[in-house]
Amino acid sequence: MSYVDIRQWHRLALLILFCLPLGACNDLLDDLNPSASDKRGTVVAGSIGNMPGQIAADFMVKDSLNNDFVLSDHLIGGSDPADVVVLYFTMWCPVCLSHSDHIYNDVMPQFSGRGTVVYGLVDYVSGSVSATRASELANGYAGSAFTTLADVNQGLLDQLNGAMGIVVIIDSDGTILVNEDYRNGSALTETLNQQLP
Amino acid sequence: MKYKKSRVKHAEAALFVIAALGVSATAQAASCCGGGSASSLILPKFSRAMVDVSVDMEHYDDFWDNQGKMSMDPQGSDLNQYRINLGYAQRLAPRWQASATLPYVWNQNQYATLQRDTSGIGDSSVSLWYEAFDKIACVWNVNNWKDLLPAIYWGGTLTIPTGTSPYGDVADNFDITGRGAYRLDASVLIDKTIYPWNASISASYGQYMQRPVNREYGTYIEPYDKQLGDRFNTTFAFGYTYFTDTMESLTGTLSYTYLKEDQAEIDGVVDTTSGLRKESIAATLAWASEDRDWVTKLTWSHAPHRDDWGRNFPTTDIITAGVSHVLR
Repeated sequence: MSYVDIRQWHRLALLILFCLPLGACNDLLDDLNPSASDKRGTVVAGSIGNMPGQIAADFMVKDSLNNDFVLSDHLIGGSDPADVVVLYFTMWCPVCLSHSDHIYNDVMPQFSGRGTVVYGLVDYVSGSVSATRASELANGYAGSAFTTLADVNQGLLDQLNGAMGIVVIIDSDGTILVNEDYRNGSALTETLNQQLP
Repeated sequence: MKYKKSRVKHAEAALFVIAALGVSATAQAASCCGGGSASSLILPKFSRAMVDVSVDMEHYDDFWDNQGKMSMDPQGSDLNQYRINLGYAQRLAPRWQASATLPYVWNQNQYATLQRDTSGIGDSSVSLWYEAFDKIACVWNVNNWKDLLPAIYWGGTLTIPTGTSPYGDVADNFDITGRGAYRLDASVLIDKTIYPWNASISASYGQYMQRPVNREYGTYIEPYDKQLGDRFNTTFAFGYTYFTDTMESLTGTLSYTYLKEDQAEIDGVVDTTSGLRKESIAATLAWASEDRDWVTKLTWSHAPHRDDWGRNFPTTDIITAGVSHVLR
């Protein structure tokens, strides 16, 4: 191979190396040129859905002790009403545990004397009530102020458009106030501050 | 009662961001004299270009929690990531060289009851290196103090978010292959070979660029600004080279790597749930041809399953096999 051929081959290799990403992924610009535009769709207040401003449809899942957890029980007029229902979607991962530890160690104590809050850990990965119980025990949440929910068939995950680390905050009339990544917990803290007496 | 104290250690590994973290111990290239001991994609002195291809097989097994305690993955979990890394280095001037790397990532995960196999391009990088020495710093004998001078490289690397991040159109964390933010690293590599021994130390400090986020896991949200934490990475390596009668060489290297990423900020507020740390050890075997034009490498990187060897991060084993070809 001549020197000229080698040079051309180098250039081709470089070209492929740099162009491959651009041609292989349609939404590459999401990160290469991130947008600060607010692209949230409009929601009809009071409609049923999973977006903030919408009403959460009632649901029933088993908790880790095989009891029924029904959302409407914890809303106005329910058998065990709360001011706010907080649902955190966990897969027991490092990030998830950092978040749930933060709720447990930082958020709960802040609001312990203000109103009633139901804190739910939604386990959407274990696949059975017994496996959820095992994960709850293994990660030290058994007996804590969390109610661990076994989303066995991921129905709640689908209904609320959940994902790892998503926190959903529902007020006493069923309106979704927050549905987003937990991040540093500031949305949860601010919302509880606004909602609790 | 502090319920965490009774934790029996049972949880999962954060498979979602790891591809982008760039913590694999790929033995990507040659040292200044060739032969394959350094851990960066660096051209040997006086070489014109180099192509490097490697394959990583990374197995996730348990993790360190936020306090640095080991926690176990759920039963039945089998978390693996495979990467093909393409690298190219080009000499720009007698003391200057540039390089670029691009990984392609496959995630193959059985996580509790979830089975997800995904793939995509990872975050790529471009680097510029300055060689702060004139002559090859590898010697056979020390005859005067100048023979003790090491090869010193100063470099800068820009990591480009070509991977798939949580802020794009993704279904969940299993799709993720990148961090979603640009990062600029300043690096130094000091390498000294007195045959048959070799030692090197490398360090880099990187800062992510702040970015706006208006989408999480495919759902548009109220926009906010996110800045990932600064990152520090250092590696100490020590090696021995055996030469055959035909001057082919086999170099064995042991190394220790320390990685730390500070806590992120969201709209200027520190995210105390973020940040990570990982310590790992690695062993590399590199075979080089007589003319040092071909180097074949095999690396095993291991993160010890012990408390306080990491924080907020999975423990992994990485097998890397690669080959690089130097063009004179």
